[in-house]
Amino acid sequence: MSVQIPKTLEDFPNSAPRWVGRGVPRVEDPHLVTGRTEFIDNVVLPGMLHAAILRSPVAHARIVSIDINEAEKLPGVIAVVTSDDARRWSHPEPTVPEEWGTHCLAGDKVRYVGEPVAAVAAVNRYVAEDAIELIAVDYESLEAVVDPVKAMEPGSPLVIEEKGTNVMLQRVFTWGNVDGAFGDADRVFTEKFRWHRLGANPLETFGVIAQWDPVDESLTLRASVQSATHFGLGRAAVLGLPSNKVRVIAHPHGGSFGGKGGTRGTDVTALLTRKAGGRPVKWIEDRAEYLTGGGGQAWDRHYEVSLAVKNDGRVTGLDVKLLDDMGATGEGFGAISTAKPLASFTGPYAIPVARYDLTIVATNKLPQSPYRGMGPPPHNCVLEQMMDIAARDLDIDPAEFRRTNFIPKDSFPYTIASGNEYDSGDYEAVLDKALALADYGKLRERRDQARAEGRCVGISVVSAIEPGVFDWNAYAIVGVQGTGVPEGATVSIDIMGKISVRVGFALEGQGQYTLATQLVADYFNVGFEDITVVCLDTHSAPPAFGPGGSRLGVALTGAVLGACGKLRLKLAKVAAGLFQMDPEQVDLVDGKLVAKGVAGVEMPMAQVVGTMLARSDLLPPDVDPRPEATHVWTAPGRTEVDEEGRAKSYLTAAQAVHVVMLEVDPETGLVEILEYCVVDDCGTRLNPATVEGQTEGSIAQGVGAALLEEYVYDEQGQILTSSFMDYLLPTVYEVPATKKGIVVTPSPFTPLGAKGCGEGAMHTTPAAILSAINDALAPMGARATEVPASPNRLWTLIRAAQQPAAGE
Amino acid sequence: MKPARFDYAAPDTLGEAVSLLERHADDDVMILAGGQSLVPLLNMRMARPELLVDLNRIAELQYIREDGEWLAIGAMTRKRAVEESDLVRRRQPALLAATRLVGHPQIRNRGTVGGSMAHADPAAEYPALALVLGAELRVVGPGGERSIAADEFFKGYLMTAMEPVEILTEVRVPILAPGTGWSFVEVARRHGDFALGGAAATVRLDASGSFSEVRIVLFGVSGAAVRLGGVEERLVGQRPGDALFREAGATASEGLEEPLSDVHASAEYRRNLAGVLTIRALGEAVARAGGREPGQEERR
Ligand SMILES: Cc1cc2nc3c(=O)[nH]c(=O)nc-3n(C[C@H](O)[C@H](O)[C@H](O)COP(=O)(O)OP(=O)(O)OC[C@H]3O[C@@H](n4cnc5c(N)ncnc54)[C@H](O)[C@@H]3O)c2cc1C
Repeated sequence: MSVQIPKTLEDFPNSAPRWVGRGVPRVEDPHLVTGRTEFIDNVVLPGMLHAAILRSPVAHARIVSIDINEAEKLPGVIAVVTSDDARRWSHPEPTVPEEWGTHCLAGDKVRYVGEPVAAVAAVNRYVAEDAIELIAVDYESLEAVVDPVKAMEPGSPLVIEEKGTNVMLQRVFTWGNVDGAFGDADRVFTEKFRWHRLGANPLETFGVIAQWDPVDESLTLRASVQSATHFGLGRAAVLGLPSNKVRVIAHPHGGSFGGKGGTRGTDVTALLTRKAGGRPVKWIEDRAEYLTGGGGQAWDRHYEVSLAVKNDGRVTGLDVKLLDDMGATGEGFGAISTAKPLASFTGPYAIPVARYDLTIVATNKLPQSPYRGMGPPPHNCVLEQMMDIAARDLDIDPAEFRRTNFIPKDSFPYTIASGNEYDSGDYEAVLDKALALADYGKLRERRDQARAEGRCVGISVVSAIEPGVFDWNAYAIVGVQGTGVPEGATVSIDIMGKISVRVGFALEGQGQYTLATQLVADYFNVGFEDITVVCLDTHSAPPAFGPGGSRLGVALTGAVLGACGKLRLKLAKVAAGLFQMDPEQVDLVDGKLVAKGVAGVEMPMAQVVGTMLARSDLLPPDVDPRPEATHVWTAPGRTEVDEEGRAKSYLTAAQAVHVVMLEVDPETGLVEILEYCVVDDCGTRLNPATVEGQTEGSIAQGVGAALLEEYVYDEQGQILTSSFMDYLLPTVYEVPATKKGIVVTPSPFTPLGAKGCGEGAMHTTPAAILSAINDALAPMGARATEVPASPNRLWTLIRAAQQPAAGE
Repeated sequence: MKPARFDYAAPDTLGEAVSLLERHADDDVMILAGGQSLVPLLNMRMARPELLVDLNRIAELQYIREDGEWLAIGAMTRKRAVEESDLVRRRQPALLAATRLVGHPQIRNRGTVGGSMAHADPAAEYPALALVLGAELRVVGPGGERSIAADEFFKGYLMTAMEPVEILTEVRVPILAPGTGWSFVEVARRHGDFALGGAAATVRLDASGSFSEVRIVLFGVSGAAVRLGGVEERLVGQRPGDALFREAGATASEGLEEPLSDVHASAEYRRNLAGVLTIRALGEAVARAGGREPGQEERR
């Protein structure tokens, strides 16, 4: 009998499930709120040293010489490393696109402000920072490449000379007869947009303790790492070690959102521990390092977008031209953010044909990293602006315009122009619920009333798709290899009937340990207190990727339920042996092994487990005596990409509609959000409280993106936003209270019908806010096309609209 | 982000602190108050004192007292104490309003009244408040005590009239006279941020309803808080009204010297803001002078 993964709660061997689907308190929280979670900076190892990294103060310069003599002489300094060590003990960083990397310590030249040049391991961080001040680097400055358009011009200085160009990738993808659609359109709308560089800012920056074992030449990394397996493989490749000689112990961490990065700092720390003869070395990235040289920068985009529209309101074609300024190298894997939009290119709309003209360029800025949403948020933002531009021109209400173009609910699974398949949805139901929640008619009256009073108020109704459960194939167009992302879990029962779930990812904040606990508790009909979830290191964990790409809730459900199913079969077999019956006659029911149809013949799980452990000699010969089972889940039905980049990539498609009303102060350009309504459909909600938390947090990040967050570089490539004084995150005062509603359309493709929802409103909020701003500005004929819509930018637009003569 | 090495002293009395400073007159010495500005500077190694003299143990520098026509506030009084002071609420509501705009509760728990004055950040609320109200600042040094009027105290971007060996001990703020209208408004990108610009005003009206006294201060828009002497003069004797406020705003805007420009706002933006805030502050202050609470609260 093969293992069955339940499709609904009814398929559980439990007549009264009480955990799954409920907003149960999280098992992670008691440790977090009492300060007992073992974050990496709390860890102290015997003999441990502390690292500080010397970083380039300039964007582009040749390194003439590095003198480390004084630093080495400082009492308390144990090791100093430079590019000589990097070349001796490591390879260039792996990148996307491939072969756009450098060594972890700059050699001949530096390519961005904040690039590591040398590093020190010392008895404490103070001494280490004193020592890096004593390292003398002689720079011969080079012209910096800061503007990606100029970077493409012949004669531009080159970020990586050996490449012969700054263009990392240039390709046009055409899906269907795009020229035909635009030729046949009644109206064509075109607009340019600028989405400025921003990114993840987890509460905790990255941290690692590296320990080299000089005897068997192996490396142990304790780190606040998001995907331990992936991270370990990468480090082994860079450090030239066999993959089984790098062991990663993932620590719980204070968020990531794609920003945990840490690869280059880890490689530097690995060089230090090796040079220090194997003493453990801790490197905690501080916030200034994070902001200028960490994993926190993403999406630096110039768009030109065209929409083909019929007079009846049908959108018949989409043409997106994107120029993304990737920064100096591909080491942050930021380029995958230009590929992911293929997973939901046309949003929730049945736009039959599309084109994507993609250019990625290297400049002397920090390499981009992923960020929550991985690329579609800016794409959705510009698509939604185009939808509004068209609706306004056609004089169709934005909500109705979207309704006209929604993929109808009877056409799922639906393959979009760019090749991905959407699993299910009922977009009109979500729209209707959102309009009702917002009291849309009244809202418009309020807006019109305010306008009559001379106020600058606007409303938006926008929609977006959240692709869920990522697959590597989604990033094939930027050179990522492979298909399939495994997630494994081991479920094991001890002689007291207590259950352990062993996984390969550390706590990151999204409540997955709670989810595993809910699933196991309902499967075996036990309480939360009977279950422990533990994270194993990469030498012992089941195959795992961990959180990322809105996948783990779905993938973990598959893994845990698969393991539970295997264990159920195993226990039934053993019990059947004890009952002297056929295995088919015995099953797990409500936490006991029961002989079907024979009243009174049953046995508690603990007793079956006890027998397995104590008397393996009595077990049927084909039964493995461990009372545990492991299952590794991967998304079914993923396909190889075709020549136009098309594939079944992300497994699920959640959808949301946001309705926002806000006011712009025309004298200052400040924005105040007056109403925020969100309705979303991410299929079955395994833990509604967790989903709500994801929604809330992602709205906050969306507000930051739309209004506040921006990394600014000057013309010399100097970063001007190296602290939280200047890189502005939204606080509780800037994030609106929201009204929320839900629609549930289960996914036919996932265990229990859940869809990926971890990126959440990040896909929709920036679009919703910019759209509402544009509705507010529309009466004066102004249009905001830059994100973030800062007060300075909005005021400049408004002033230009009010004084057309002085405006240009 | 760790500071460079420094020596540290934490005297218990003002007298000890003064003599410490005197003894180390030739060294690079810095005073530590709430640390909300200084500690980041230390950690970024932008400040590298040889000796840090911590005033936090000096209890005698923490008080808020009524002293005739003045509120006398010890330099080490936390902003949170000002915010919670009944005396301040009753006697000088403009001080309360300004205090609430300084950072966040966490910052106000540590940051001191004296620290904000001594630091003299161009976008800080307290220097602007001191200027508009005509506060006095008391300092002691090896030569004894002296009192400096706010107009004399603030010398420009992060600069004051204090000598390095002097300690600010008390800030004296005039009690709001009956019939005086006031306003304290600012625009910041986020709640609690240093302002992109702000304005403080006090006005008095005569029996005919015309301005008899006007003080307006702008902050955050240029290198230091500035009093708009020219605008004030033009307003005195005139009857308040929208057209007059607009004219005052235009004068303030045009007259602004070297507006700041940074990643948050251009010089042009701040020049415009100078006018907008002048108009808003005058409107509010006049409303209060007439015994009315301004209808539209500032949004941030
Ligand atoms: C996140 C954040 C937000 C903030 N927002 C604002 C804001 O919106 N508005 C605002 O005005 N401020 C803001 N601040 C700054 C804060 O108000 C500080 O408290 C203030 O600038 C300095 O006061 P302090 O007591 O912390 O002084 P410290 O930081 O200890 O010292 C500041 C300077 O003053 C000197 N000094 C301090 N006390 C004396 C004294 N008695 N005699 C002589 N010299 C002295 C010190 O030597 C040092 O040079 C913010 C700070 C932070 C961290």
